[in-house]
Amino acid sequence: MTSRNMNLSDLIILIADPSSYMSMLIHSMLRGFGAGKVLEVRNTNDVLQMLTTQQIDILICNARLPPHGGLSLTRAIRGKTNNEHRTMPILMMTSDSRELTIKRARDVGANMVIAKPISPTSLYDRLNWIAFNPRKFVDTVTYFGPDRRFKIEGYPNGMGRRKGDKAVEVAEASSPALA
Amino acid sequence: MAKTKDLEARIFAVDTRFQKMARREGGVPRDIAIKRAQVEIEEVKPGFDQWLDSELQDFASLMKNAEIGSGKPDWIETAGFRSRQLRDSATMLGFELLAFIASSLCEILDSIEAGNECNWESLRCHIDALILARQRSYRHLKPDQVPELIKGLRRIAKRVTT
Repeated sequence: MTSRNMNLSDLIILIADPSSYMSMLIHSMLRGFGAGKVLEVRNTNDVLQMLTTQQIDILICNARLPPHGGLSLTRAIRGKTNNEHRTMPILMMTSDSRELTIKRARDVGANMVIAKPISPTSLYDRLNWIAFNPRKFVDTVTYFGPDRRFKIEGYPNGMGRRKGDKAVEVAEASSPALA
Repeated sequence: MAKTKDLEARIFAVDTRFQKMARREGGVPRDIAIKRAQVEIEEVKPGFDQWLDSELQDFASLMKNAEIGSGKPDWIETAGFRSRQLRDSATMLGFELLAFIASSLCEILDSIEAGNECNWESLRCHIDALILARQRSYRHLKPDQVPELIKGLRRIAKRVTT
């Protein structure tokens, strides 16, 4: 995979994981990537609190973050209007890489999912993908978040649902999958 | 009509601060960034012993309480979460034997959570194996260096998860 040089200095990254040791491992990887400021929290309440007091540039969040879970947290961040973090990139970490879990993360508005155990390579590539391949945001009655059609798999069930959807020629995916 | 309105999507471009800043000049090339991250991980490795001891102690206590019926109703979810943490951190740090045992334990706990009968003996076996594998003399072994242990755990996991 080709990737461009990523500059993480001066960025504020928030790691939300209940395990202090796991958090420390992710933190150390980010330090190796040259991250400027890395903050850590252990639960969803502290994430929400942090977002009200601090500019956060990207959230790296455990899908099972207590007490509400990373998915509910993402839904809350994306759902709250007049919230300056509404479009903040969210990278969801999960130990459960079943398709259903990944779809759930996608459907609440996560930018990407990263399966644990996380390696420096997988973390770097996900961050790089988010940085260099910005996706448009979609705002509908039922969804607010990054466009979920970024893999060019064609329309769900072969039919476009959005007003303005046109017939498409489905291409081979040439970029990393969501997980 | 309302349904048509529901399907209308507002689509707009977003270039977040993260994206703008990360694309600046002066970034670290991928290979160097990954190498540096590996060095950073090596530096936090010594803290693993203390964390692992505490995790294993808590895990054994969680199992013991659950077995005698005084555990919390959600003990199986907690046990699953903790076993995955053990597996993931051991894998990230390259402790293959620990990772293998924790992974086998995860399989058993997942099957219990999915409705299979809880076989306490199989759980105790795995906790004992984790305690053994945490010792320094076993820590850096690969699963194929302890074939009898691995064979035994595989047999147990197969028996209780099918």
